[in-house]
Amino acid sequence: MYRYDEFDHAFVAARVEQFKDQVQRRLSGELTEEQFRPLRLMNGVYLQLHAYMLRVAVPYGTLSSRQMRKLGHIARTYDRGYGHFTTRQNIQYNWPALGDIPAILDELAEVEMHAMQTSGNCIRNVTADHFAGVAADEVADPRPFGEILRQWSSLHPEFSYLPRKFKISVTGAEHDRAAIQVHDIGLHLKKNEAGELGFAVYVGGGQGRTPMVAKMIRDFLPVEDLLSYTTAIVRVYNLHGRRDNKYKARIKILVHETGTEELTRQIEAEWQALKESDLKLPQGDIAAIDSYFRPPALLARPEGWAALAAAKKADAGFAAWVDQNVTPHKNPDYGVVTISLKPIGGIPGDASAEQMELVADIAEKFSQDEIRVSHEQNLVLPSVALADLHMVYELLLTDGLATANAGLITDIIACPGLDYCALANARSIPVAQRISVRFGAAERQSEIGELKIKISGCINACGHHHVGHIGILGVEKKGEELYQITLGGSADEITTVGEITGRGFSSEEVVDAIEKIVDTYLGLRASKDETFLAAYRRVGAAPFKEALYGEISRAA
Amino acid sequence: MSAAEQNQKQLWGREGFRDDPYIEAESLDAAGDAPAVILPLAAWLGLDDDVRRTSNRRIGVAVAPGEDIDPLLEKLDTIPLIALQFPAFNDGRSYSKAELLKGRHGFSGELRAVGDVLIDQVVFMLRAGFDTLQVTNRIALERLKGRDLHDTPGYYQPGRGSAQAGSYSWRRMPVA
Ligand code: HEM
Ligand code: SF4
Repeated sequence: MYRYDEFDHAFVAARVEQFKDQVQRRLSGELTEEQFRPLRLMNGVYLQLHAYMLRVAVPYGTLSSRQMRKLGHIARTYDRGYGHFTTRQNIQYNWPALGDIPAILDELAEVEMHAMQTSGNCIRNVTADHFAGVAADEVADPRPFGEILRQWSSLHPEFSYLPRKFKISVTGAEHDRAAIQVHDIGLHLKKNEAGELGFAVYVGGGQGRTPMVAKMIRDFLPVEDLLSYTTAIVRVYNLHGRRDNKYKARIKILVHETGTEELTRQIEAEWQALKESDLKLPQGDIAAIDSYFRPPALLARPEGWAALAAAKKADAGFAAWVDQNVTPHKNPDYGVVTISLKPIGGIPGDASAEQMELVADIAEKFSQDEIRVSHEQNLVLPSVALADLHMVYELLLTDGLATANAGLITDIIACPGLDYCALANARSIPVAQRISVRFGAAERQSEIGELKIKISGCINACGHHHVGHIGILGVEKKGEELYQITLGGSADEITTVGEITGRGFSSEEVVDAIEKIVDTYLGLRASKDETFLAAYRRVGAAPFKEALYGEISRAA
Repeated sequence: MSAAEQNQKQLWGREGFRDDPYIEAESLDAAGDAPAVILPLAAWLGLDDDVRRTSNRRIGVAVAPGEDIDPLLEKLDTIPLIALQFPAFNDGRSYSKAELLKGRHGFSGELRAVGDVLIDQVVFMLRAGFDTLQVTNRIALERLKGRDLHDTPGYYQPGRGSAQAGSYSWRRMPVA
């Protein structure tokens, strides 16, 4: 993975010093909260319902053991002993004292981390496929380009005061695990017929109150043009994106109002003028950054095949976990392990300091010192030898980290909701917990198969409900918390926005409603291989609406 | 704007504070006999080109974020000053215009930032191509007096006032 050089260290250190000074001035009263606000936002510090919150960037979701250990240390020393991994592959601390934040930033800088560009109307931390570099279906590792974008976008003089925040995501595989089509820019790294690397470029995806699937504006952009083309897109957006209404200030609205064709024309025209500028990436620089991400030389571990088969036979819990949470690695002697942060009835995405340290230890011994954070709020050990899987499983079991539910109905994404967030209409976390408990039995989950439930406490959609196979949205009606349900959303290579089923459900009713939907699916699926999403796409909303509202509509 | 605030306005450039010969006026007539005037874009575009070029006063133009700079492009070599406005610090459109005027179109007159100029944006403005900043914010004035610009030791992208960092192509170091 990328390592800071002196340039990066000096840059981050200077920013921390500046922020220390700003915090001092806030604490002494020289700065009012209003004057302090833009400064703290530049450093990832939000004001939440009860306290300040610090959001730390995990570029493209990749962490070393040392960094993970530091995150655990910070959780224990400055917070209440846990942290929250987010849908943008970052980590948030919900209870730091403002006076401690400079010290936290110092600690982060020691391990080459920071909190820049995690808030504000700038180019946010770039996200990537959490299986990047190891997935069997990958064309090339997209993270070197994530790193180039991270550097180039850091304190960008032209692009630090955009109309609204700007999110870029990259993937290097046909199967999109990074939800690139719901980002402001989505980049799909691929090869052309000549075998050269380039990107399919998508623009204008997003969720929030106007969910939109991104439009592909270029089928193949040579990699050396990454920064010039991105500059062209962001410049056109900066100049012409709406600023009169913050909900209409995203690039998706500009695409929608200008028309994809016309906006593409403007971007291409801008790019023609930039193409041969200083922004053109020399092959040598791409290769130099790429070399940081070269997979570690993995030892051949063919003994794992037999060992794994034997261990699965002997331990049913282990077998279930392997089947659900281990996916194919480029190297057939290895697997990619998803560590679920969704224990049955737990808070999605939360990890304790001890859990972070345990994961760090395991990664150091068994996964080439590397960990990933997924946008599904889980952790990933990217390279575990099949021969070591049982050992890793046993270690994870010791602290509740071996839940065998990756991709299943209890692997729920939920935003912080009313428990933390000042904008929320409704609670998200308790609903996730109750659904998790209702469907928690292993046989039942496995019978249901792949099913993604995503919950947001308000229309800002931090919990990605629009792209949940089942989405749940907290709304407020006459002072009551209600939950609206959407069906059929998806954020992979065939991205769709879910459709609203009808009137919302109360907090008491909502879990029953989800159960009705699930039972309806089980009753109508063509076979066990037809997933919820596939079945929904085949039959449409009608049978589900009938199940949810049938009696009411007949009575009316 | 009150007279008191008007008085506090100060003009700053890389070399430090300097006197401002310009006054802002809605039209040439309203400017009295001031030797240097900044007109709003519409008024500036309404001037007869010959009148403007043969005038013995300097006539600059102020551009609001929502206004287009295209009509100015073919006249750039005759414009002594363009003032790009920041009605609020977080309206960033004028950064892109600065970049286009200085970087792409080679504007060699004075490019000035006016409006909500705060200390935290000073380096961005200089790097985007502004030559001068009109400052009223108290903290910004104090910090500029102490030449405390909140700068970083290096930059991750090309910009004015910097040179190749001897590292990746996109990195730059400040030039003294
Ligand atoms: C608790 C404090 C939080 C607040 C006040 C907050 C606020 C917001 C707002 C206002 C938006 C909409 C922005 C827009 O107009 O486009 C948004 C979007 C988003 N938030 Fe949050 N958020 C919070 C926490 C989180 C957390 C914890 C996560 C991750 C789990 C998250 C992930 C996202 C994502 C992914 C989007 C983008 C949705 C899109 O594509 O439009 N947020 N947030
Ligand atoms: S979706 Fe709404 S409630 Fe949930 S975190 Fe985002 S802003 Fe808060």
